[in-house]
Amino acid sequence: MRHTWLIPATAALVAPVAEFAYAIEYLSVDAAQRAAFPDATSFEPVLVAADVKAAIAQEAGRFQVEPRVWRVRAGERALGWFIVDEVVGKVELITYGLALDPDGTVRSLDVLAYRESHGDAIRLAAWRAQFTGKKPGDPVRIDSDIRNISGATLSCRHVTEAVHRLLLLYAKALAHG
Amino acid sequence: MAEGVIRRRRAQLWLGTIVEIAAEAQQAAVVDTAIAAAFAAVARIHRALSNHDPASELSRVNRRAAARETMISRDLRAVLACALAVAERSGGAFDPTQGARLAALGFLPPQPMADRAACWRDIRLSARGVTFARPLALDLCGIAKGYAVDRAVLALRAHAVMTGVVNAGGDLRVFGERDETVYVRIDGAQGGVQPLVRIREGAVATSAYASQRRYVDGRWASPLIEPRNGLPVMSTRTVSVIAPTCMLADALTKVVALRGRAAAPALAAFGASAAVLSPAGERWRFTQAA
Repeated sequence: MRHTWLIPATAALVAPVAEFAYAIEYLSVDAAQRAAFPDATSFEPVLVAADVKAAIAQEAGRFQVEPRVWRVRAGERALGWFIVDEVVGKVELITYGLALDPDGTVRSLDVLAYRESHGDAIRLAAWRAQFTGKKPGDPVRIDSDIRNISGATLSCRHVTEAVHRLLLLYAKALAHG
Repeated sequence: MAEGVIRRRRAQLWLGTIVEIAAEAQQAAVVDTAIAAAFAAVARIHRALSNHDPASELSRVNRRAAARETMISRDLRAVLACALAVAERSGGAFDPTQGARLAALGFLPPQPMADRAACWRDIRLSARGVTFARPLALDLCGIAKGYAVDRAVLALRAHAVMTGVVNAGGDLRVFGERDETVYVRIDGAQGGVQPLVRIREGAVATSAYASQRRYVDGRWASPLIEPRNGLPVMSTRTVSVIAPTCMLADALTKVVALRGRAAAPALAAFGASAAVLSPAGERWRFTQAA
């Protein structure tokens, strides 16, 4: 192990970079689909009916974005389902891909993109706007140099709830399809 | 980056956090297979060492080991051996038997059988398995993530990956012939990120407890227990430890959070050192513990 501390010497006062946004794309939807189902020959988009979404919202809360669903096949054989969904946490926005076997068992869950913003409320709103398609306000600084962050763990509770919603979607709309 | 090098980053959710793996190799197939193997190792450890899953190996050991010697996996043995070594060197500041107290505060599922007076000396690790001198609830939250990172790095290397970083929610390890800059995330009103360390072939773990607090019985509690009196500690400090392995770095953050500068001998014993950030007005005060 070789190391050099970058924080100033003993008892110095430091001000962290308070307003920064961290954004990373891990996998494209295509790449995530191929990673989850290497043998697949087709990914066929499936529309989710409005009444199904309403029923899920009643039971498990509303979807934050429209989930995108694909039926996955290898020739005529059903391999399962692939769903792309997003969750918004306190300072983070996570796009993830959930792969399900035909019987609804979770096959894999990959984070496709992750964005995090620290700073004041206006910057946070501007940062979110750029991902939700609304008109962005202040420009947001994206620090592409900041790759390795050690620090307080972000909660995955939001993702767990979102996955629960997708499993409900499977049960109501996909299981008998 | 050298020409002809394939670089991949992938992230999945394990151990209650985002686990990110960045890896480089000469061929795409090598990197992809290696990353899949690394995530498989993380998933295996997640399933074995979860306190929230009654079917996990950890839950089974917690139910049985007070009654009789219980066989354990190589993963659990490795984690327990390291936990006991850090417990001994830190005079019990790191103690993996605080599960009953954490459960009483709502940080873990109820552990009705466990004795709150248990301590690390009640764990007997033998060649065959583990025995508890009294009913207790092992809690490996403070070390399992670091171990998972180490195993992921091992899996990547076994698959001929030369350079990479594995980061499990802030506990990370860097390997290969390159320095990496690691930033520390600081919570709160004056929060943000701060460049922390440049490191090669080593691990960094950070613990901050203010953001994990819960309101219990009329006061705030954090998931950091002072084993001497069994009470939760409310700390606003952010503690980062660098060590040769992520499991050591992870465990030692708890020792520094509880003991401050008095943790120096324990850090030195494991070839580790620490940086502590504490809020001082509008800024942060930094001290190096060793």
